[in-house]
Amino acid sequence: MLIDAVLYDGYSSKEHHVTIEFTPQREVIIASHGIELMLDEVRIESRLGNTPRVLSFPNGIRCKSKENEKIDQLLRDFGLTKSKAYKIESSWGLTVGSVLITVGFIWFLLTTGANFTANTLASVLPESTLSEVSDITMDQLEEHYLNPTKLSDRQEKIIQDHFDKLTQGELGYKLHFRSSPEMGPNAFALPSGDIVLTDQLVALSRDNEFRDILGVLAHEKGHVVEKHSLRMAIKTGIAGVIVGYVAGDVSVIATTIPTILINSSYSREFEREADAHAVKELEKMGISTKYMARLFEVLAKKAGDSEDNSSIMGMVASHPLTSERIEYFNSYAK
Amino acid sequence: MFSNYEESVLEQEFKSFEFKGNGKEYFRIWIVNIALSILTLGIYSAWAKVRSNRYMYANTYLNGSNFEYNAEPIRILIGRIVVVGFYALFVVFSQYLFMFEVAAGIAILAFIAMPWLVRQAISFKLRNTSYRNVPFRYTGKTRDFYTFFLWHGLLNIFTLFLAFPFSYIRFKELVLHHAHYGHGTFSFKGKVQNIYEIYFSILGWTMLFIISLLLVIALLGGIYGASLGGAEEIIMLSGGLEEEGVEIGSSSMMTGLISFVVLVIYLPLMFGQKGLSDAYFSNYVRDHTCLEKAPLQGSMNPFRLAWISISNALAIVFSLGLLYPWSQIRYLKYKLEHTSFACMDYNQFESSGYEQGTTIGEEMIDFFDINIGF
Repeated sequence: MLIDAVLYDGYSSKEHHVTIEFTPQREVIIASHGIELMLDEVRIESRLGNTPRVLSFPNGIRCKSKENEKIDQLLRDFGLTKSKAYKIESSWGLTVGSVLITVGFIWFLLTTGANFTANTLASVLPESTLSEVSDITMDQLEEHYLNPTKLSDRQEKIIQDHFDKLTQGELGYKLHFRSSPEMGPNAFALPSGDIVLTDQLVALSRDNEFRDILGVLAHEKGHVVEKHSLRMAIKTGIAGVIVGYVAGDVSVIATTIPTILINSSYSREFEREADAHAVKELEKMGISTKYMARLFEVLAKKAGDSEDNSSIMGMVASHPLTSERIEYFNSYAK
Repeated sequence: MFSNYEESVLEQEFKSFEFKGNGKEYFRIWIVNIALSILTLGIYSAWAKVRSNRYMYANTYLNGSNFEYNAEPIRILIGRIVVVGFYALFVVFSQYLFMFEVAAGIAILAFIAMPWLVRQAISFKLRNTSYRNVPFRYTGKTRDFYTFFLWHGLLNIFTLFLAFPFSYIRFKELVLHHAHYGHGTFSFKGKVQNIYEIYFSILGWTMLFIISLLLVIALLGGIYGASLGGAEEIIMLSGGLEEEGVEIGSSSMMTGLISFVVLVIYLPLMFGQKGLSDAYFSNYVRDHTCLEKAPLQGSMNPFRLAWISISNALAIVFSLGLLYPWSQIRYLKYKLEHTSFACMDYNQFESSGYEQGTTIGEEMIDFFDINIGF
């Protein structure tokens, strides 16, 4: 078989147009340069897209040929294998397979991998580290957002009783009553088990017994039990590393948006888990979930037109849509 | 119009580089590289690097002939293992064992080795690039790199980096004066003043961009804000603790706002500036570089490259990374096709043969994403 190529002698940048002859006896002949070799003395580089094929000869001589198809045919005829990488790249099925492997691996890292790491870390990390982080956070919050509570003793007592019953027999949980005009109606949990409840949220309660607030506390306890803060931090970290690796130099920025998207969907996943936990606890205590559903209705009304956050914002919302949650709690209400 | 005749002769001499890579082809190489790297727990990544570099080089043509990338994957793998190993040791000692003396020792060692590693990286890149079977070479002395980093490090600390353009010119000289193609030697003649001018242009355009952006946002914000009214009041129950600080009442508005700020302000600013300065500096270095007597020329439009850079970033974000190979090709294509070289005789270069050498420098630069630039 004859193949057109350009020959470089390795001494200078001069180009020589040559014809390489491959005989059935596995000889390689370039008559114009007096080259006669056996095939196994020539290294034929693997194919890379449609770039000129490089053939390396002894003594630093290199030939380049654009006749990729002919060379592939030749390799087949002589029973030499094509490059495996090129074989994968040139097959549609295997390319799609590569996409699936990559996506699947990333998905695995973000779900099972992250949960596994979070659980391992949580069991390895000393209690003191968790409470230290929580203490620092609490201090900062106290300084900037939180004021002493203005709830009456009676209100405080009812809620505290609920909380004690909720966390009965479990160590580490502590309820903090605070007023926070800045944060408004809110409640949140720190990994140490400290749970903060704002007066502003209590003010929205429509139940004299504060059974809706109990629901909120159960929800917050769910966050602590499921180690959401730690899982969130780990997933954010993993997501950053993956995006950085895949996107290469764009790491700085490309990390930001996917991280936000991933984060907010985490939050939704976590909120659902916490909601489920709340339902479970409430059922155990024999309290209907309808109070909690009602509290959400009040919140939604306060937030204005709840139809507003239906479509696009729902995609990026950190929390499940309020209407979704109202339905969820109502579905468990007896 | 006296010079018309001469100009036309000159124009004939300059030939621009051609880039024949295409996004579809490269996508397959890229995704197969990633998948195989995953399946081999990262070992294939060295082969992957060679494969994608080979693809880029082999698709770069000048005067009808293409370039070649000749690095041996196994050497890259060794370099990677050394760099990752050192980094892992550092992390383990500083963050898990709290043995800060050992961690500091590793950091100091890396710091001391830095000038040598930078030289190694430059040398590795050049030695593994060839054109028409004649490799590039680098003959800069390690000693010169130590002198350079010592003096210019001190100089910039004391002048608060105001002397940076001066160091920039000196560094380019250090790199290019010892760079060779076969027996041919590169040269670079730059003026410090021009580098200052480039920095002022970049600064000026960036300021103009920020101001016009703020104006647009203020205008839109006025309209949008009026229609939204008390949107801030949307607050939802609870919120988790994040890595740092607390995410309080993480409402959908907040996420929306952050995405908006990132997409409309941060991203165009970062990437616009990156493309802009890349074009300015690339043009400048090319315009003042010769291989023996044959000059290079850069004719990139800074705004065009800024736009390519911004739109690439957006494409990557919205395709969740899948358009990354396409964007890489697009960027490189523009840069190469706006680079030209005027050489009378492409056959004249004599080869000094191929060498290999260590890759630790190259891999360190890669790993920490340090941009030396040629």
